[in-house]
Amino acid sequence: MNALTQPIVAGQPLAKSQHDLHNARSLLDATLRFVRQQKHVAQDPYVISRFGDLHICIEVAAALLERAEDFFNSHQDDTEISVAIAESHLASADALNAISNAEFELTGQRTVLPGSLQDPLRWKLHLIGNFRLNGIHPPSVRSAV
Amino acid sequence: MTAQPPRTAHVIHSDAEAIAVAHKLAARFAIEASVRDRDRRLPVAELDEFSASGLWGITVPKAYGGAGVSYVTVAEVIKIISAADSSLGQIPQNHLGVLDILLQTATEEQKRYYFGKVLQGYRFGNAFSESKSKHAGAFETRIRFDQDTAQIDGEKFYCTGALFAHIVPAVAVNEQNQAFIAFIERDTPGLTVIDSWDGFGQRTTASGGVTLNAVKVPLSAVIPAHKAFDEPTADGPISQIIQAAVDTGIAVGALEETKRYAREARPWIDSGQDHGWQDPFSIAAIGDLEWRVHGTEAILKKAGLAIDAALLTPNEDTVAHASVVVAQAKVLSAEIALLASSKLFELAGTRSVLGKYNLDRHWRNARTHTLHDPARWKYHLIGNYLLNGVKPARHAWN
Repeated sequence: MNALTQPIVAGQPLAKSQHDLHNARSLLDATLRFVRQQKHVAQDPYVISRFGDLHICIEVAAALLERAEDFFNSHQDDTEISVAIAESHLASADALNAISNAEFELTGQRTVLPGSLQDPLRWKLHLIGNFRLNGIHPPSVRSAV
Repeated sequence: MTAQPPRTAHVIHSDAEAIAVAHKLAARFAIEASVRDRDRRLPVAELDEFSASGLWGITVPKAYGGAGVSYVTVAEVIKIISAADSSLGQIPQNHLGVLDILLQTATEEQKRYYFGKVLQGYRFGNAFSESKSKHAGAFETRIRFDQDTAQIDGEKFYCTGALFAHIVPAVAVNEQNQAFIAFIERDTPGLTVIDSWDGFGQRTTASGGVTLNAVKVPLSAVIPAHKAFDEPTADGPISQIIQAAVDTGIAVGALEETKRYAREARPWIDSGQDHGWQDPFSIAAIGDLEWRVHGTEAILKKAGLAIDAALLTPNEDTVAHASVVVAQAKVLSAEIALLASSKLFELAGTRSVLGKYNLDRHWRNARTHTLHDPARWKYHLIGNYLLNGVKPARHAWN
């Protein structure tokens, strides 16, 4: 077990996002270091723009994590907090997935990461959509933790 | 004697007031947005209301009587208006860009004069881009200086706002290829604004042409605009954040329409549901749009903060950082505007393409406006800064 595979601290609704974002940043740094060692690759316009895309994914994840933390720490209602947390989970997982694929493509290595069968992302999309489309409230994050 | 605004503008004094005024205006602009688009009815009365509200003067610095609002607020205002009517959201784009070039390069006297006009409700249009030059940043329009006047000759295109402006700032280059901006009063002999814009989106921006035929202005009406890019200033990012705010607004407006029409969709035969809104795949697709819109809004806000920092402490690093964050907002907003305005039909079903709803205006506006500068080079800009430490080139598109 290493920093990228350690279990998530239970009871912290944003721990999963923080964990994924941290891992995404670590993988991005490692991939950047690898690519920078090969001058001609680092000048390839398609590789350059690929890093632009990865950087955007990470910045979005960081911004939505910050937003969810703000919601959680302010007096937003429980539903808005739950939805903001779900959005943060999705953004962090999306960033981690994107950088993990890029790591494999550009370095030939793949860092092993835990899956998410227990708390699957597809149902986060459902939670958000069901509230915004149909007004159906998700379980409160305060009572869920 | 220049054309004058029909009424004196209200002066906005704070960021919160600017947002509140934008919400009030947007609610009114939304009512006939679809009709204006369908009939290509230019928003003349709406623009008078828009500039009289004081929103066109919110970036005038406090020292000159304005509110000097944060660029977080500027982006929010443009987003709110664009969600209602993205043509109206785009029209002040160059006006706001010019205000910053004035701040960066004009003399004290010019600043007092033009900022004063803007606070009264004068609108600047633009005669910047040229369709026949080699690329977007190349100009063939010439400025020749005499003792106390300057003469401008050339042909312009994509002149958003010029038709509705009281003063048309025009970019022209001297013998050394340095760019100047001449502030030309709308009724100056030799200045002709042509209402020729027939693009399929942003239909009521009147982004047509301008011809400049031996147009003469006093030297006091000319500023050395090139200095805004010779030295590091936030002018490029300011120009760009407004583009990103328009596209974010289109996305927000399209997502609202998507939800409204998806609620009324019929259930798909295989879903086993009684109503379209119970469709698990539609629900998840809404969830996907939601987080992407919120991510874009969050980055747009960060871009505004980065611009504020570059204005406060202008140097190569702060300006490069602002360019990079604004580029992120630009990429995200372009993608989500196109995605949301296309998903609308997928989730609302075939009936949503009927002409009577005119819902295609969201996609037409998104596709048209996001062509202003290509997102593919923004990925490259961001990646080159991250991977190789290369700072973005300084011009009005970064």
